[in-house]
Amino acid sequence: MTAATQPPIVELKGVHKVYKLGKVEVPALKGIDLTISSGEFAVIAGPSGSGKTTLLNLIGCVDVATRGAVNVDGHDTATLSESKLTRLRLDRLGFIFQSFNLVGVLDAFDNVEFPLLLQGNLTKAERRARVEAIMDSVGLRDTMRHRPNELSGGQRQRVAIARALVTRPRIVMADEPTANLDSTTGHQIIDVMKRLNHDEGTTFIFSTHDPKVMAQADRSIELIDGRISQTSVRDDGRLDEPHSALV
Amino acid sequence: MTGTLIRIALRNLLAHKVKTAVVGGILVMGTLMVLLGVSALTSMDRAMSQSLTGSVSGHLQVSAAGAKDKFVLFPSPIDGTDVGELTDFPKVRAELEQLPEVEAVIPQGFDYSMIFGGNLLDVKLARLRKLHTDSQRGGSEGASQGDSAGAAVAHQAAFIATRDHVRRIVELLSVDLKNLEAITDQTTLSKETAAGILDVRKAALPEFWTDFAGKFEQRMNFLENKVAVMAIGEDLLFIRYMGTDTARFRKNFHRFEMIDGEPIPDGQRGIMLNRFAYEEFFKHKTARRLDKMRDRIAEGYRVDADDQLQDWRRKNVKQYKEIIWQLDAPSADSVRAALLKEVGDKTARIEKKSAAVDASPPQAAQAVADTAPLPPVPPTPEPLTPAQSKRAEMVRLVSAFLDVDDDNFARRYALFYKEIAPKILLYRARVGDVLTLRGQGAGGYAKSANVKIYGVFQFRGLENSILAGAVNILDMMSFRDLYGFMTADKVQEVRQMQAEAGVKEIKRDDAEDLFFGGDASLPGNTAPAGDTAPARKGEIKRPDAMAEAALFGHEGAAPPEAVSPVDAAAAPRDKENGGFDEFAGLDMKEGAQRWSESLLNRVYTSAEIDGGVVRNAAILLKAGVDEKDAMRAIEARSKAAGLGLQVMNWRTASGMLGDFVSVIYMVLLVAILGVFGVALFIINNSMVLATIERTREIGTMRAIGMQQSHVLWMFIVESLVLGVVFGVLGSLIGGGIVLWIGSVGIPSGGNDTLVFLFGGPRLYPTLEMWHVGLSMVMVALVTTASTVYPAFLATRVAPIEAMQDAE
Repeated sequence: MTAATQPPIVELKGVHKVYKLGKVEVPALKGIDLTISSGEFAVIAGPSGSGKTTLLNLIGCVDVATRGAVNVDGHDTATLSESKLTRLRLDRLGFIFQSFNLVGVLDAFDNVEFPLLLQGNLTKAERRARVEAIMDSVGLRDTMRHRPNELSGGQRQRVAIARALVTRPRIVMADEPTANLDSTTGHQIIDVMKRLNHDEGTTFIFSTHDPKVMAQADRSIELIDGRISQTSVRDDGRLDEPHSALV
Repeated sequence: MTGTLIRIALRNLLAHKVKTAVVGGILVMGTLMVLLGVSALTSMDRAMSQSLTGSVSGHLQVSAAGAKDKFVLFPSPIDGTDVGELTDFPKVRAELEQLPEVEAVIPQGFDYSMIFGGNLLDVKLARLRKLHTDSQRGGSEGASQGDSAGAAVAHQAAFIATRDHVRRIVELLSVDLKNLEAITDQTTLSKETAAGILDVRKAALPEFWTDFAGKFEQRMNFLENKVAVMAIGEDLLFIRYMGTDTARFRKNFHRFEMIDGEPIPDGQRGIMLNRFAYEEFFKHKTARRLDKMRDRIAEGYRVDADDQLQDWRRKNVKQYKEIIWQLDAPSADSVRAALLKEVGDKTARIEKKSAAVDASPPQAAQAVADTAPLPPVPPTPEPLTPAQSKRAEMVRLVSAFLDVDDDNFARRYALFYKEIAPKILLYRARVGDVLTLRGQGAGGYAKSANVKIYGVFQFRGLENSILAGAVNILDMMSFRDLYGFMTADKVQEVRQMQAEAGVKEIKRDDAEDLFFGGDASLPGNTAPAGDTAPARKGEIKRPDAMAEAALFGHEGAAPPEAVSPVDAAAAPRDKENGGFDEFAGLDMKEGAQRWSESLLNRVYTSAEIDGGVVRNAAILLKAGVDEKDAMRAIEARSKAAGLGLQVMNWRTASGMLGDFVSVIYMVLLVAILGVFGVALFIINNSMVLATIERTREIGTMRAIGMQQSHVLWMFIVESLVLGVVFGVLGSLIGGGIVLWIGSVGIPSGGNDTLVFLFGGPRLYPTLEMWHVGLSMVMVALVTTASTVYPAFLATRVAPIEAMQDAE
């Protein structure tokens, strides 16, 4: 399966994002054009402060662009209300965080079940079946009743992945998912994500600056100073044209 | 969803144990306060309502509108008493009883009067006079009957014992007065007092008692008029009463119950004494204190550890004279024997103990007896005569007897009532006696009225309340006499009496001055008294001395010689002492007596009872009628019919007491608000901190797809869980405490106001579901209110917060 054959699920056109720190305006993104196809396993790379997280936030609908259009799964995020954006995130997006961000007072099962509860359209039995299945696939069936603080970093991130995937989202956003893991565990996590990408056809968009992780991606989008410096595809030598002007 | 939120809430609470414990503790305290306070207040309010409406106040009180002072049932010393009068009570009653809300309208009036007398010397002198009279009569009648010789001897012995007792009392009085002189600046003593002291000293001399029987009248007159007055100081008594239509009062006030004697016959004059007032003011002081000690010990206090008990004991020991004075020689011998046995037993026990360490038991016992604190024996200049040493021993025995401890109290209490009480004047007046009340009438002139004590009653539940217990019940007619209202029939009666007494030529005003001036002890006397000085005679009379009460003394007047029915042939007046020379030739006794008896036995009609002045009226409502509705209806009727009434409910009418409940309400409210204010502040703070602490968690939830409304709900659930958990805990604890207190009762500690508020000696609060409900609602409100701001803050947390540490 290659990205090119699939319809676009994320489209960004001329996106700018400016943060205001007091009276100082700090531009984070300076005109991004980007299309990600459904089923892609895409990496956003770049040094710290290059705008990776900002770009993920815009795609993940947790932030809005200052200028330009962000289109996610057919919705222009600029036109959606706060509650519709929230619903979009709940139904279509999954999030994996750098520090896992599990709810500490809930056990693994409850954490994973939480988005299903928010959705509120499954019975208890259906939720249980769904959670158990996804826990199986991340290899945590036996530790479902453990609280996050009883789990290792890798296990926690796998819980986080399960939580992101349990609603069967179209896109999974991951912000440096391996940054707080050792490299072996990090690779295991990437493997899990790759497998789900392959099995479920879920689009993965994640940021990293780990070259080994980047190497796993279908496509690597490199950001430097708020602009896309280059886009590369894996192994097969195909190189997409950069969507934004080079510096 | 909510299930998970509750789980999150519970786990968050568990995760912050210290914080939860602090907040929870405050919430439990708040719940406890609400629950305990509200149930206590509800019970108190109910108890008080029932106490008051069923005893004195009725549901509503009406009095004259526009009076100078506000009407209150239990005025404090600063409350004015000029509450006006309802001058047309029959109309008020007729109009108000037409209202569908009203069950009954009972006329009332509260007032005070003084009572003098009942002092021992008076009683003993009266007895002496009676014995003397009897023996003279018996001597003439019994001459033909041989078997009366023994009786005559016994009679003679009783006369001598009584005479010696009187003598002893006079001697002790003389010593007392000498002591008074010693500690008082002579110049401050009035001429009268100084002369009185000299008279007593004269009567205490042995010469006074030689040939006492021979000079009986002269000596008795001196004792009755010059000496007895010096002993009455402590016998002045204020009595508070409520004048009312006694028949209708009894019918409508269900807390009223007779415990001795009988109710005042319908329509007649008379007084019913409240048991509390009777016990407190009429009973022998030592006996009363012993009763109080018994009650307090029954409450669980111990003599060796309680100041109050020790105070009573100290007073009893110090006032041993209260008993000794009252015993004549034969009684004293019998009491001495009984006390020797009791106190001697104690000595014997000590003796045995001492024997173990001391080889000579008798001396040891003596030593113990010597070191025992003994009250001072009245100073005697000469060496002790056998009689004096006998008296000194009596002082020692009585003092030692009254110096009770926890071990012997019960036994000595029983002994007191078995051996001593029958030989002393246990009460200053008994049911059946006639009491002379002396009131300060509305016009400012002293008034007096003689009323028969028909019985003793109590208000159920308020047996020990001073406030309720001070309310004695007087018939309306006597009340009016004392209050100073001259009704038409009273004017007529006075005229009739004058006619019967043979007073024809004297103008009415003069007659009144002459008849009632000075010691106005005529029953129902409504004329201004010329002299408001204390009575010169004891004025509690035995029935056989009733006519005597009908006679009057005058400042420096002739002694009211024996005019009891059995002594119709009274001795001539002692002209030396001045007196009503104008009447010397008239047979006033008989007229006065007849007049007095006719008054005491007269039955008044309902119209007569209603037809005079009434100060206020109690209104009883039909069952289920709302007080406020009834008040409005009465006000409307008062306006429409021009009755000029002001209406108040029992709570307002109870004045200070009603205020007291309001004050307790306020204090409780402030305390509860305080606790909940603190709770609000702390919960709010901790939740704000929790919000900040959980920013990333909330952001994560928001990012995952949690709506703002869910976040709000999450916080509310958390505070509700907090409120419910600790509210339930507090309610359980509080409920348990209320149930426990409800079974043992909150003691009033004898505090009078509390006795009244509690409707009895103890308050038994009851737990009602709404108390629990209220406390839970309050806790829920407080916790929810304290969550509003932090919850609002939480909804403002942006999903982007979840990513913040990513870079």
